[in-house]
Amino acid sequence: MEILKIEDLSFSYPGSESRVLDGASFSLLEGELCVLAGSTGSGKSTLLRLIKRELSPRGEKSGRVIFEGREIEELDAREAASAIGFVMQKPEQQIVCDTVWHELAFGLENLGLSRADIAIRVAEMASYFGIDAWYDKKVSELSGGQKQLLNLASVMVMRPRLLLLDEPTSQLDPIAATEFMHTVRKLVNDLALSVIIVEHRLEEIIPLCDRLVLLDGGRVLKSGSPREVISTLDRDSESIMAMPISARIAHKLGFRGECPISMREGREWLRANCQNFIRSLEAKETESSGELALSFEGVCFRYDKALPDALASLDLEVKVGEIFCVLGGNGSGKSTALGVASGTLKAYSGKVKVFGKKLSDYKNGSLYFECLSLLPQDVQNVFLKNSVKEELEDARADISALPFDISHLLSRHPYDLSGGEQQIVALAKVLARKPRLLLLDEPTKALDAAKKQAFVELLRHLKADGMTILIVTHDVEFAASVADRCALFFRGEAVSCAEPTRFFSDNNFYTTSARRLSRSHYDRVVTEDALLALCRLNGRAEEGAR
Amino acid sequence: MRDFENTNPIVVTVYFFAVSGICMFVSHPILLALSFFGALGYFISRHGARKVGLHLAMLAFLLTLALINPLVSSAGATQLFFINNSPVTLEATLYGIFASGAVVGVIYWFLSYTEIMTSDKLLYVLSRLSPKLSLVLSMALRYVALLAAQRKKIRQTQIALGLYSDGNIIDRVRGEMRVFSVLVSFALENGIITADSMAARGYGSGRRTSFAIFKFSSRDIFTLALILIFFALTVASMATGALDFEFYPYLSPIKTDLWAVIGYISYGMLVLLPTFAQMEERARWKYLRSKI
Repeated sequence: MEILKIEDLSFSYPGSESRVLDGASFSLLEGELCVLAGSTGSGKSTLLRLIKRELSPRGEKSGRVIFEGREIEELDAREAASAIGFVMQKPEQQIVCDTVWHELAFGLENLGLSRADIAIRVAEMASYFGIDAWYDKKVSELSGGQKQLLNLASVMVMRPRLLLLDEPTSQLDPIAATEFMHTVRKLVNDLALSVIIVEHRLEEIIPLCDRLVLLDGGRVLKSGSPREVISTLDRDSESIMAMPISARIAHKLGFRGECPISMREGREWLRANCQNFIRSLEAKETESSGELALSFEGVCFRYDKALPDALASLDLEVKVGEIFCVLGGNGSGKSTALGVASGTLKAYSGKVKVFGKKLSDYKNGSLYFECLSLLPQDVQNVFLKNSVKEELEDARADISALPFDISHLLSRHPYDLSGGEQQIVALAKVLARKPRLLLLDEPTKALDAAKKQAFVELLRHLKADGMTILIVTHDVEFAASVADRCALFFRGEAVSCAEPTRFFSDNNFYTTSARRLSRSHYDRVVTEDALLALCRLNGRAEEGAR
Repeated sequence: MRDFENTNPIVVTVYFFAVSGICMFVSHPILLALSFFGALGYFISRHGARKVGLHLAMLAFLLTLALINPLVSSAGATQLFFINNSPVTLEATLYGIFASGAVVGVIYWFLSYTEIMTSDKLLYVLSRLSPKLSLVLSMALRYVALLAAQRKKIRQTQIALGLYSDGNIIDRVRGEMRVFSVLVSFALENGIITADSMAARGYGSGRRTSFAIFKFSSRDIFTLALILIFFALTVASMATGALDFEFYPYLSPIKTDLWAVIGYISYGMLVLLPTFAQMEERARWKYLRSKI
């Protein structure tokens, strides 16, 4: 049964000539998980908000949105609120109440349900999502992933038949993001719920979805099963960059026909289509100076006397001029190590040296002048002014000296920028301090595939200028493509440390998708570029057979 | 196991206001003594031998209050001895002891009360007065926590950027001002998204109800009834004048007529009620556990 039908929908914001949506049409069946993809500015968020009546932006609209055979304007207020659920991007800001149970009950209170009914529905939903363990907690004590699950649960208690998700995982770490996606898939399977999800991180969600809709310039470019859509994509289209690795590799090697999507299909495809006479590329020797930019010697830190060590006798050395990536799970002490290195957290034992000098010997903020700068995970906290221009003047930043161009953003309010733009402006502000050692915490979290590639180039450029960069990240693909050396943190210690090819080849689970794809076929391949190069070097399987 | 502190928060609130309210309106030594020892006993039953520092501070406070009265007031007819030519009287000494005991007793009652009433229990009690108030308070509590956390994050970020100097007072105030101004924009931006999220979940679509995780069990009703009966009996006894007591100029006699005795017993029962509830609950638990 068709649950949602969008007919020739056009929309433009007030005072703007250009149409954000320009005659978009598609339809969704009951129980389908649909991914809405497209580059920035393709109108996907606007389309999603036009389906949810309460959140529809004001402007000129034509065309129809039909939900279960009725136009959404005809639904009564309570029906519209409960039948179509919406979860937004930032977990923190959607939460209304101070305790988990009250947040869960909030929507049902609005619908005027009796206390007994609310109790049943809330209990049912809390146990389905496994949040009964933190039912009594304050929302401020939850992690980002837990907050987003709570947001999903507090929409699901209202028993929606259509669920709209606007980049729900963009603020989450990869593990929490995967958990969230699988929860959504489970909901679809269990309840025949219909879901539309807008995402830029497509690797995870595409193997799970039933329908892929590609938007471009406010029109629906393609709509169909993910295999159909991906197989008919143009080879150089930007959308291919965001697709799963199997599809990407097949596409870039000029493969035509049914595209592999899952990891299993990808491996089979690789075995069938590429030779492996040459099993690995020659390792490039990277030279680096012996000088240390940052060193930890037996550093111990805890947030509170009663809590366990967040850093337990940490030893780590970062050499001058290298890009060093720190990986590890949540709570393994990665961000804490950055806090200690930047002097905002004080270790209770051990030595921290920056360029051979102890932290305590840097007096009167000299540590932060032409020496070390930390760009935190939540870059929004860097901004204090009302426009980008004022921000940069405040930090005495010289735009012309930057290796990237931000002149088009000058008049905007920093809070109105997209995640990627905020990252770049914050970086400009940090670079104005002319640091020799740059500390970055999760810099790729809000970046889509294309922006991430540009960011990698930028970091290489900074490195070429002699900067040392220490990055804390969950993003293994990013670390593999940019790092000179990587370390894995576990329970407050660095358990392994090596250059990325060795680091990721040794790891079995904690490794890149290129490595997982090629493990049985090639040796020591960890980046997509290396895999492509090796495939081209070996040649196609049919050619070899001939 | 549910002991007294886990009874319905409304019952708990009624209890503490009843027991400490009476103590504020009578000056009868027996009732004051009951209140003081009851409050101290209940506090100790919750904490055991811990909190020695607090008890010592309370003792010092009590002794100071008790000593000041006979030194500054020479009212009362029975003179004990003279200090600097002013008489120290028996009545003033006793009044000092009992008045300060009453004050410290009430402090102990409220220490226990504030420990038991966590913010969501308090919110629940207020929501019975007005459902709207409870939502507003819940949102306010959430925002206070959110803004406090955000302020800390912004400050740390600015420190690590070297843009927040705390060298002298003027710099520090200037730094705080900058952080504050950005917190305002953060709160406004956040507020818009929260309002969207509320509208998306049907806020304003009609009459609201209000949900709470606390139930009113039959046991809660029974406890509440007991509290109200003992409270009413004590107040009735006060109304007959049986619990009137004057320290000056002579100590009034302690009455033993029927209403007075009813007053002592019912207030005594009221004071001991949480302890009884605790004991009853423990005995029941022991019995139940023996069956596991």
